[in-house]
Amino acid sequence: MEITGQLLLTVLMGAFLLGVAAFLARVEDWRSYTPLGAGGGAVGESGYGHSEKPAGLIRWFTTVDHKDIGLLYGAYATVAFVVGGLMVMLMRAELTTPETAVLGSATFYNSLLTSHGITMLFLFGTPIIAAFSNYLIPLVIGADDMAFPRINAIAFWLLPPGALLIWAGFFPLPDVIPAQTAWTMYTPLSAGVGNGNQMNVGVDLMLLGLHLTGVSATMGAINFIATIFTERAEEVTWANLDIFSWTILTQSGLILFAFPLLGSALVMLLLDRNFATTFFAVEGGGPILWQHLFWFFGHPEVYILVLPPMGIVSYVLPRFSGRKLFGFKFVVYSTLAIGVLSFGVWAHHMFATGIDPRLRASFMAVSLAIAIPSAVKTFNWITTMWNGKLRLTTPMLFCIGFVSNFIIGGVTGVFLASIPVDLVLHDTYYVVGHFHYIVMGAITFAGMAGIYYWFPLVTGRWYQRRLAKAHFWLWMIGTNVTFFAMVLLGYGGMPRRYATYLPQFATLHQIASLGAFLLLVGGIIWIYNVAVSWIEGPRVQSGDPWRLDETDLNTAEWDWFEAKRETSLAATDGGEDVTADGGQEIEDDTAE
Amino acid sequence: MAEIFDRDTLLDLTVNVIPLGIILFFVAAFVLIDPFGGLDFYGRVLQMGLLAFPLVALAILTYVSGKAIAGDEKRSKVFFQGQATIEGSPEKHEVEEAIEAEAAGETDVEDPYGGDADEDESEVDPDADDNDDNDDESDVDADDESDESDESDADEDGEVDADEK
Repeated sequence: MEITGQLLLTVLMGAFLLGVAAFLARVEDWRSYTPLGAGGGAVGESGYGHSEKPAGLIRWFTTVDHKDIGLLYGAYATVAFVVGGLMVMLMRAELTTPETAVLGSATFYNSLLTSHGITMLFLFGTPIIAAFSNYLIPLVIGADDMAFPRINAIAFWLLPPGALLIWAGFFPLPDVIPAQTAWTMYTPLSAGVGNGNQMNVGVDLMLLGLHLTGVSATMGAINFIATIFTERAEEVTWANLDIFSWTILTQSGLILFAFPLLGSALVMLLLDRNFATTFFAVEGGGPILWQHLFWFFGHPEVYILVLPPMGIVSYVLPRFSGRKLFGFKFVVYSTLAIGVLSFGVWAHHMFATGIDPRLRASFMAVSLAIAIPSAVKTFNWITTMWNGKLRLTTPMLFCIGFVSNFIIGGVTGVFLASIPVDLVLHDTYYVVGHFHYIVMGAITFAGMAGIYYWFPLVTGRWYQRRLAKAHFWLWMIGTNVTFFAMVLLGYGGMPRRYATYLPQFATLHQIASLGAFLLLVGGIIWIYNVAVSWIEGPRVQSGDPWRLDETDLNTAEWDWFEAKRETSLAATDGGEDVTADGGQEIEDDTAE
Repeated sequence: MAEIFDRDTLLDLTVNVIPLGIILFFVAAFVLIDPFGGLDFYGRVLQMGLLAFPLVALAILTYVSGKAIAGDEKRSKVFFQGQATIEGSPEKHEVEEAIEAEAAGETDVEDPYGGDADEDESEVDPDADDNDDNDDESDVDADDESDESDESDADEDGEVDADEK
C-alpha cells in the first residue's frame, strides 16, 4: 500500500488522540488526594473538600466546582470585555473624523462593529451574569453545588472555542475575513447574496461560534432551572427565594425558549449559505423571515441580559440603604411579567420593514405594557433608598448609577415603542444611544456593583477604594457623555452603522469619542485595581466585611464566607496565612 | 384557594394587573374603533392573537407564581430574602411585629435579631444616624488595615461609609 499524505495525517491524528488519552489518564492520577500544604501549592480555599483539588492549571481545566466555574466565567467575560472594548475604541477613534481617515477602510470598521456587538452581548454579557450566578446561587439557596456540575463545566468550555470562531476573521488566516453583517446578521447580506464579500468563510465561522455560545447558554439555563427547583435547602421555599435567584430563574426560562430558536435560525442560515436552501431567499421564506426569527430570540435576549443585573441591584442596593428591599414581591412578580411579555414584542424592532400596520399596532400595545414592570422596579429601588441610611460605597455608587442610567435608557426606549416616533428615529444613533444606556449604563454598571460587592467574598481581600471610586466617576461621566451625545446625534438624523458621516455631525461624534476615552481610562483602572488587589490587597478581617449585621441585612453567602474563614483559620492552626482563591500561597505583608 | 389569594396577595399581584389592563385597553380599542378597518378573519385572528397570547400567558404565570409564593408563605416560615438558611434568623413576622410594637411606643421591645432594638432598620432618622455612622467608622476592618498599607493608593482600601455621605 502506498503511503499517501492522507494516510500519514490519519496516523498522526491517531497518535495525537492517543497522546491526549494518555494525558487525560495522567490528569486523573493527579487528582489523587493531596494534603493541604504538602505539595498542593494551588489548593484553593474556595470550598469544602478543597484539599482534593488538583494543582495548577489542571485544577481549572478539570473543575466542576460551581465557584471555580463562576471564576472561569468571570475571567472569560473580562477578556471578552477587553477585546470588545478595544474594538469600539478603534471605532470611536475612526468616528472622530467624518472620513475614514483613521482606520483607512470602511470594511474594517464594519468588521469591528459586528464583532463589538456580538462580543459584548454573547461573550461578555451572558458569561459575566453566569459568573455571578454560578458562584452565588448555590450558596444563597443552600445547595451543595449545581444540579449537574459536569454539564456546568461543559457549558463553560464550549465558550472559548465559540469566541475563537467568532473572532476567527481577525486572525491571520488565509482567505478568511471578519463578518460585516452587524450583530443582527440580517439577510440577504448575511446569506452571502450579491456582489459583496460576505460569502466568505469568516461569516460561517462566526455563525458556528455563535451557535456554540447558544448551546452553552442553553445548557447553563437548564442547569439553573434544575438547581433552583430541586436543590434548594428546605427552608428556602418559593416565598424565601432571594431576588437574584428569581431573576436567574426567569432568565433561564427565557434562554430555554429563545436560544434554541436562534440556533435553528443560524442552522437555516448556514444551510442557505452552503447548501443552496432558500429559507431566507426571496423565492423562499423571504429575508423578513430572518428578522422575525432573529428578533423572536433577540428581544428576549435583551431581558436575558438585563434581568439578572436588575436582580443584583435589587440584592445589593438594600444592603447599603440600611433597609430591606421595598416591595420585594412586586419586584418578583414584575420580573416574571417581563419574562412573559418579552416574547410578545419582537416586531417592534421591525416597525420600519413594511409589515402590516394593523399587526404592528398589536406589537406597540405589548411594548408599551412591558414598560410597566420595569418602571415598577425603578420605583422600588428609589423607595428603598428613600430616607434610608445610605452608605455610598463603590457597589452602592454603581447601583445608583444603574438606576440613573436605566431611567434614561428606559424612557428613551418607551418613545421607540410608539410606532410614529420609531419610524422617525429608526436606524439612527438615537437607538444606539438608547440601548447603550441599558447595556453599558445599566447592565455593566450592575455587573461592576456585583464585582466590587462580592470582591471580598471571592478573594478574601479588599480592593483599592480610591481607584474604585475613580472608576465609577469616570464611567458615570463617560457613559453619559458618550451615549447622550448619541441620542442627540439621532435626533439630528445621523444614521447608525456608518464609518463616515456628514461634517455637521463631527462635534457630537467627537464628544462621544471623548466620553469613550473616559470609559477606557476607567476600564484600565478597574482591571488594574482588581488584578493588584486580588494579589496584594489587604485581607478582610471579618466574615462580615460590609457590616451587614448592624442593619440586620446579612445574607446566606456572607454567612458561608464567615463559616469558611473560621474553618480556614482552624485548619491552619489559627491566624496563619491562608491560601488565596487563585491557589497560590500569598505572603501578606500589608495586613498582618 | 380563597385562603391563598387573600387581600395582601391580591395587592401584591396588582403589579401584573397593570400591564394586563394596558393590553385589554388596546384589545377594546381595536375592537371598538377598528382604526384600520377591513381586516379579514385571518388578519383579525393575528391581530388579536398577538395581544391575547401575552395576556393569557401573563395571567397564567401570575396565578401560578402567586399560588406558589403565597402558598409557601402560608405553609412554612417566611424570612427576609437571603436569610432563610442563616441560623438564628428571625422570621419576617417577628421583625414586623417588633417594628410595630416599637412604633406603638412600647419600650421593652426585644430585637428579633438579638441586637439593640433601637437600631431597627425601620426607624430611620437620617440626621441622627449621621453621628452613629461616624462613630461606627472606627470599627471598620478595612480601616485598621489601611494604615499598614504601603501603597499610597491603598491607604483607604476597603469600604467605609460615613465620610462619603
